[in-house]
Amino acid sequence: MRAAWAALLLVAAPAPAEEDLVSGLSQDIVQITSDYTGTDLIVFGAVEQPVENGVGDVVVVVRGPDAAMTVRRKDRLAGIWINDARARFVLPSFYFVASTRPLRQIAAEETLARYELGLSRLHADPLASDGDPAPFVAALVRAEARSGLYRQNPAGVEMLGATLFRVRVPVPAAVPRGSYNVEVYLFRDGNVVSAQSTPLYVDQTGFERRLYDFAHSRPLYYGVATVLLAVFLGWASTLFFRRRE
Amino acid sequence: MEIYLPIAQMSVHWLIVLAMGFGVGFLSGIFGIGGGFLLTPLLIFYGIPPGVAVATTASQVSGVTFSGALAHWRRRTLDLKMGAVMLAGGLVGTAVGVHLFAVLRRMGQSEFSVSASYVILLGSVGGIMLNESIRAWRAARAGRPAAGRRPGQHNWIHGLPFKTRFRQSRLYISAVPPVALGFVVGVLSAIMGVGGAFLMVPVMVYLLKMPTNVVVGTSMFQVLFVTSAAVILHAVDNYTVDIVLAAILILGGVFGVQYGVRFAAKLRGEQIRFLLALLILAVAACLFVEMVARPADLYSVVAGTP
Repeated sequence: MRAAWAALLLVAAPAPAEEDLVSGLSQDIVQITSDYTGTDLIVFGAVEQPVENGVGDVVVVVRGPDAAMTVRRKDRLAGIWINDARARFVLPSFYFVASTRPLRQIAAEETLARYELGLSRLHADPLASDGDPAPFVAALVRAEARSGLYRQNPAGVEMLGATLFRVRVPVPAAVPRGSYNVEVYLFRDGNVVSAQSTPLYVDQTGFERRLYDFAHSRPLYYGVATVLLAVFLGWASTLFFRRRE
Repeated sequence: MEIYLPIAQMSVHWLIVLAMGFGVGFLSGIFGIGGGFLLTPLLIFYGIPPGVAVATTASQVSGVTFSGALAHWRRRTLDLKMGAVMLAGGLVGTAVGVHLFAVLRRMGQSEFSVSASYVILLGSVGGIMLNESIRAWRAARAGRPAAGRRPGQHNWIHGLPFKTRFRQSRLYISAVPPVALGFVVGVLSAIMGVGGAFLMVPVMVYLLKMPTNVVVGTSMFQVLFVTSAAVILHAVDNYTVDIVLAAILILGGVFGVQYGVRFAAKLRGEQIRFLLALLILAVAACLFVEMVARPADLYSVVAGTP
């Protein structure tokens, strides 16, 4: 098994790595087809030159494309709950972080915050906010974690022997399209000693892709086509029923 | 089997979606309502983004109402003239409603005003219908003539100008009330995002005194055009129409509506009105509870939209 991983590394990770960290992805493009229900992405790699007191800690982060998110808060007014306050900010549409140990044991809070490691340390750029944006950001992180788009796994980096590691990244069905970034950090004594970044693309292919392009490039025709489809199916069903009568 | 939706960007189980389309289509066939006020919440509950749910529901309603209107046309229970007159008012009303909605949105209370107008309208319309249909039902059971439709009776509507003969509805009334009704429904449907048939059906029955079975086919005819326009507007303005989701919903819906039309033929007018009243009141009650109950999460997320 170890030999197989090592062999895979030699072929799949030609990217120039820093001297003591090499990593690669099981696939560098995730293709969404009509039967796509989510997939697992494997990030693997090796830490070279292990020092005497272990290899250090590995942290793997996958970030999706940035998106503007709106969060609204309901308040009670005369017995009725209505949307009262809102905040808008930019955050990644997908975020996954895995590490060999809980992050807080790996580095100091300010180091983790600088690299935005951990769901509580995501840096949201507020575009607009009614009051303090912090509770809105926290609510967004909760919602995204529920839908599987944000995930934190403090034991997600699996060590295969002394120097090889592997991380399984679950990519849910509702994953947004776009260009992603896979970052691998090597920590020693609370500091980043090596880091590597690899792009990853998530895109629709085939029929889905053509429909999506059609809807965005010729929206009027697309709308008319949808209505015609509706009318055709309605008409076809009456034919079907008339024949049976 | 799961199927991926290119616009909603998520995968759904096609059998569940097909069943939703069928169920709502069946109700549409019975009551002559588009079913938008039922399907949109169902889809949102299933996890479809609200924008996509609203726009795609409109396309399902188009397919279902075309199928239903055709079935009624063949059964001669569609008053084409009445439908066209109402549609003229409806298209003007929709344009006015779109503008009004933009004003409400600028004031920041569009969502609340939508919910509130739903509860008030559905509640009062449902209550009136329930009351009337129960009385008519009792009268029919006691062997007395139904009190609902008295052709000889005149009300204020008969004093209006532009009298027109609506052969299919067996009516000779002014064209003003149908145009006005179409206009009001057009305004409301633009604001509330539905076809508006649930409002139109009771007015046609009680105010215009059209026969219930003709009302169903005629309202479907009007809703077909209103929702088709909505689909195209949503596709152009918001890119939120998912044609794959629409195809599955329509497929379920058009078969549902055919069974619904056949089922409705076995029911009497007051029975149909009684059941529709219950349905409308149930939706109004759900919306009311939603407005006053403390939400599970006070915060709601709208990703990637302005």
